[in-house]
Amino acid sequence: MSLDAGAIERLYRSHGHIVLRRARALLGSEEDAQEALQEVFASLLRAPHSLRNATSVVGWLYQSTTHFCLNQLRNRRTGARLLQSSVAPAPAPAHVAGRGGEVLAELRRVLSRLPADVAAATVYHHLDGMTHAEVAGLLGCSRRKVGYLLERAQRSLALLEQSA
Amino acid sequence: MTTSLANQAWDACSSALQFDQYLAGELDPPDAERFRAHLDDCARCTSALNELRSGAKERLPPLRVVPFPPRSRFPIRALAAAAGIVAAASLLLVVRSPGTRSKGTGFTLGMYVEHQGEVRRAGPGETVAPGDAVRFAVSAPVDVFVAVLSLDANGHGSIYFPAGGRAERVQAGNDVALPLGTRLDATAGEERILGLFCASPVELEPLRLQLERGGPEIPDGCQVTRWSFVKR
Repeated sequence: MSLDAGAIERLYRSHGHIVLRRARALLGSEEDAQEALQEVFASLLRAPHSLRNATSVVGWLYQSTTHFCLNQLRNRRTGARLLQSSVAPAPAPAHVAGRGGEVLAELRRVLSRLPADVAAATVYHHLDGMTHAEVAGLLGCSRRKVGYLLERAQRSLALLEQSA
Repeated sequence: MTTSLANQAWDACSSALQFDQYLAGELDPPDAERFRAHLDDCARCTSALNELRSGAKERLPPLRVVPFPPRSRFPIRALAAAAGIVAAASLLLVVRSPGTRSKGTGFTLGMYVEHQGEVRRAGPGETVAPGDAVRFAVSAPVDVFVAVLSLDANGHGSIYFPAGGRAERVQAGNDVALPLGTRLDATAGEERILGLFCASPVELEPLRLQLERGGPEIPDGCQVTRWSFVKR
């Protein structure tokens, strides 16, 4: 499946809400989620052939959104490290204040520390509620590998919790 | 899994992916039928589906893109020389100082349109098509904070440039292409464009809202260029 620019614009109108909803959940910032929405479709405009081998447009959008958002979370972590090394700690922003905000912020910190494939499997299985077979379909690996990735996630999370 | 992850989990019998695929018509007919049958008996899944349907109605901002061909195929300089005269003559440049408006010079906004792979420089009143990509370029004698807003024929305001919530600094120069383009949606009719040139990074969301209500009030320290194109 390969789309021209007009078809991608129509796809943006019909499917963009899927990207926006997941980016909001993963990034926790409206501005960052809007940027994710634009970037996912801009990447499709730059490389429309990337959809050629996709069996599901929705699946492709899940993959692309997850990949972009996890990169953003890792970049934030790098940025935060740089800031901490050069400036005094800033007060927590309003949107992460409070118990709910703390939980979400913790979740994003955890994801930013996991290897890319482990983080993606974690998002698909635990946040999107996918079966191992669905995760395997999106990651292009076996169900056995998905089980292994999720076990690794468990171990990493346990270690992070112990060190927190 | 940690409590924090469990708390954020999708709360329905099938995955969020399957719900989205169902709504997009991607499930095989037998799977879609099973899905529908389950919905009849499951209030939780029906509620989840209704929530997704409601989210799908959200109006999205225009798709911003930078789809233009490489610089060598994008004849800005050659076109700019010819179009500069047209732009200077056609654009209404209004200077807003406290309490007054007057004509001024120095800042201009240009627009390029990509239609079916061909790029052309547009003039005010240009006819464009849904799916065309547009990209703006500015000429400024000094570094300036720039924003481009639009109001479509349905009265919906958008911020075409920049991506953030405030006007963005652009270096002085002639026909400096802004780093974002926009893929036009299908809303037909006249679309009004507002180019803002400001001394400071003004907040844009209030201006977008004012634009939808017939404004905006041009902030002190800003100059504005106005033009329009027709989408059909």
